[in-house]
Amino acid sequence: MARVARAEPQPAATGTSLVVMVGLGIAFLLFMAFLNVVKSGNLLNDSNLLYAALIFYSGAGTLYLGFGVTGTPSYVRFASLATWAGLLANTGAVAHRWYAAGHAPFASIYEMLLMFVWTLAALTLIAEKKYGVKIIGTVTMPVAIVGVVLMQLLRTEVHPLVPALQSTWLHVHVTLAMLAYAACALSFALAMMFLIQDKMRTETFLAATSLFSIATYLGILTRFEKWGGLSVVAWDPERKSEMFVAKGVRLFVVIPDLGWLMLLVLAAVAAPLALYLVWRKTGEENLIDIANRAVFVSILLQVLVLIFFLLRARDGRYGSLDADGLFSTSLAASPFILSGLVGGVFVSLLYLLLLWRRQDLERMLPSAEELDRITYKTIAIAFPLLTLMIAAGAYWANRTWGSYWSWDPKETWAAITWLVYAGYLHMRVTRGWRGRRAAYFAILGFAVVMFTFFGVTYLLPGLHAYA
Amino acid sequence: MAATQSIPRKIWQTLGAIKTGVVLLILVVIISAAGTIILQRPATDADEMQRAYSPSVLRLLDAVGLTDVFHAWWFVLLLSLVSLSIIAASLQRFPNAWRYFSRPYKSTDESFRNALPNHALIPIKDEERALSVAERVFHKAGLGPEHIVRHNSFSLFGERNRFSELAVYIVHASLLLIFLGGIVDALYGWRAFVTLNRGQQSSQVQTQNGAKRDLGFAIRCDGAGQENYADGTPKRWWSDLVVLENGQRILRKQIAVNDPLVYRGIRFYQASYGKTGKIDKLVLIATPRDGATPKDITIGPDETVPLDPDTTVRLAEFIPDYVVRDGQIYSRSSEVENPAAHLVVESRKAHRAVNFWLPAIPGFEENASSTYTFEGKDLQMAYFTGLEVSHEPGQWSVWAGVLVMGFGLAVVFYLVHVRVWAAPVRDARGQLMLWIGGTANKNKDAFALRFRELVAEIEAELKVSSKAGAETPVTSLTGK
Repeated sequence: MARVARAEPQPAATGTSLVVMVGLGIAFLLFMAFLNVVKSGNLLNDSNLLYAALIFYSGAGTLYLGFGVTGTPSYVRFASLATWAGLLANTGAVAHRWYAAGHAPFASIYEMLLMFVWTLAALTLIAEKKYGVKIIGTVTMPVAIVGVVLMQLLRTEVHPLVPALQSTWLHVHVTLAMLAYAACALSFALAMMFLIQDKMRTETFLAATSLFSIATYLGILTRFEKWGGLSVVAWDPERKSEMFVAKGVRLFVVIPDLGWLMLLVLAAVAAPLALYLVWRKTGEENLIDIANRAVFVSILLQVLVLIFFLLRARDGRYGSLDADGLFSTSLAASPFILSGLVGGVFVSLLYLLLLWRRQDLERMLPSAEELDRITYKTIAIAFPLLTLMIAAGAYWANRTWGSYWSWDPKETWAAITWLVYAGYLHMRVTRGWRGRRAAYFAILGFAVVMFTFFGVTYLLPGLHAYA
Repeated sequence: MAATQSIPRKIWQTLGAIKTGVVLLILVVIISAAGTIILQRPATDADEMQRAYSPSVLRLLDAVGLTDVFHAWWFVLLLSLVSLSIIAASLQRFPNAWRYFSRPYKSTDESFRNALPNHALIPIKDEERALSVAERVFHKAGLGPEHIVRHNSFSLFGERNRFSELAVYIVHASLLLIFLGGIVDALYGWRAFVTLNRGQQSSQVQTQNGAKRDLGFAIRCDGAGQENYADGTPKRWWSDLVVLENGQRILRKQIAVNDPLVYRGIRFYQASYGKTGKIDKLVLIATPRDGATPKDITIGPDETVPLDPDTTVRLAEFIPDYVVRDGQIYSRSSEVENPAAHLVVESRKAHRAVNFWLPAIPGFEENASSTYTFEGKDLQMAYFTGLEVSHEPGQWSVWAGVLVMGFGLAVVFYLVHVRVWAAPVRDARGQLMLWIGGTANKNKDAFALRFRELVAEIEAELKVSSKAGAETPVTSLTGK
């Protein structure tokens, strides 16, 4: 198995054949979907449109990846065409959802993901057309695909809005948040590309990949691990909502054995970092080879644990420590765990792409200075959006609860995000920070954004009621 | 003497240093992050705190103030230090920026010409004509050129959006405005709660620490309600509120979640809504025993309703969920599960009051001796409305700060200060050249392109207007 990690992939198919294959794939999937639609007689609803978007994004992702691996320029043309088509379908899904729900689609995590994916696709096209960062789709399209898949798993029913959420200001707040976060995500991707172009060693990326996975699994395990099982929120399939013991206190059920399995995966994802550290001390080149194989093995284990989690969370009834009886759970009840697991696999795959195709990547990416400049520009877009997002949220809170700032964890972390980016801007302007240090700062900023988005809701005590 | 003077000065310098600012900000970040990880006092109730931490840890956390980080004196002190640092940094840097702003560098000496990143040389024959062409092109580009006359030279200077140089101070000032609002609210603001039943009024509210606070006017609730979606989840809560001052009705408004009532800077929010367990209206069918036609009556708690000229009925008691135990009637809950109504039927002629229970509860009811029988038809429970009351005199400063910051950030990031210069010079071989230079304070790569366009335009115009131009112009451009 470890051999595979060392094997160079076959020389990619020539320019036309991949395009034709992806085109045929899209056509086939659309045709199959069309047959389904004809049978059900309901063409335009948001899940069909979302399915179309998924098909197009997948096509675009494949082509961008093909471009990333081979550098054939025609791939990008077709990839952006597919992205356009996906964006169109995505827009339709948003519009339909809006129409069906009667309010802007920002109420649930499903609807926010819908907006996030839309923004990401739009920004990808902007970055490509305006700044010529063609390869950006290699990173953003897989994220979009993961987003759409997550949405398929999460609930799709239109839920009526509780009174506190019926506010234009809330919509403004969430729209700005999604725009700001998408811009932050873009700046993160650009900063990573900068580090590639800045000749940062592949070994350092190895350590970073391992560190990310360790953090993810540690986060999941410290919060959800219980006696070797995994403690997840119970899900009421009738009412399609989380179950509560008391007001604001969720009911947790324990999926047995999953905790041990995750501990094993934690060890597997930590192995490359350990080997890297030993390599730093001893300089034994062999160790890095082993570490790279360990990454490959850890991907297999991560996929295994993901499948295990998918299967066990989808059906089956489990006992709880807080209440008698057996309860079911659902993937929709554990978006943090799900995104953590998927994210871990995705990041490790990106590392493998870098490991195998570094030279090609370097050839195709814009120069380091250019990337540094564009990173700054995306942050110059993200920062005012973050500011306005916080202000709109404060205004909404003031209209709803009579207080514009109450140091709620979500608010506090939004402020921390703002401070980190403010720090970036100050260091850049007054201290002339460029290059590496600025890129690290941009990466730190996005890490804080991710924590604010996911971590605060799912990891911290005292949950923010509306996610 | 000098030493004593230098200590405040040193403190001032340290406050304004970027390092101090960064250290302070890192501290704010770490402490606020800690405040989100450690359970906080007012939000988490005491029981839960005791469950989460061991007694000794909890004592320690309480002593240090980590269980209420955001209101601890040292956190406030830290934020004040941040404010001071912003003030010091801005004031120390402002004079330089102001000099730069008020006395722009307009003339072009040789060292300046060589140091400028974007400049170009175009061979010319006639100084005046070249300058007028440059002036025209600058003007068209919106750079409003002015003539700079020195004792032996004549040149052009044009610029746009000089204001953008000061924008960063606007952003800092806006941050201080927001802080100011926050401080004012921390000192003079308060939050309170009041619960009103329908028709009830109150001029006092209960603040968070349990104290009573006089409003100086009264607030009355004329009605409250809930609207539901088809699936039964709440859609809207509302209350009809009236502001009364000296018994006079001043203001009335239907408030809802997200839509408060404001009077004299005090805001009333729809915070909660629920059943009081008391009845509001009971609709009954009253049937006389003498065989006359039954009629509907509507009765409220303790209300007396005439049934005929001789007889009246009073609703003495309403129990939403009754249970009989040990010869007593108790109410199990405030939900209408098992309701019982105690009616008193009085006959004036007979001077007699009869207890009528609906339903008949043995041992209490005297239903058989009543001249009327009653049957329940409908009932409406009374609801209370819970109002969050808040007074935040500093919020206007906060919103003003937010608006100013939005404006300031837009200018900081998107308004580019562009400057251009043009001057006739002689190169090393004595050839007459038009020197053109330009600079921008941000987005420099885009400006480099724009600058090339400007130069090309001037060059083209010079060529057109000198159709007799025999020599081919040799233009040298240095970009970036």
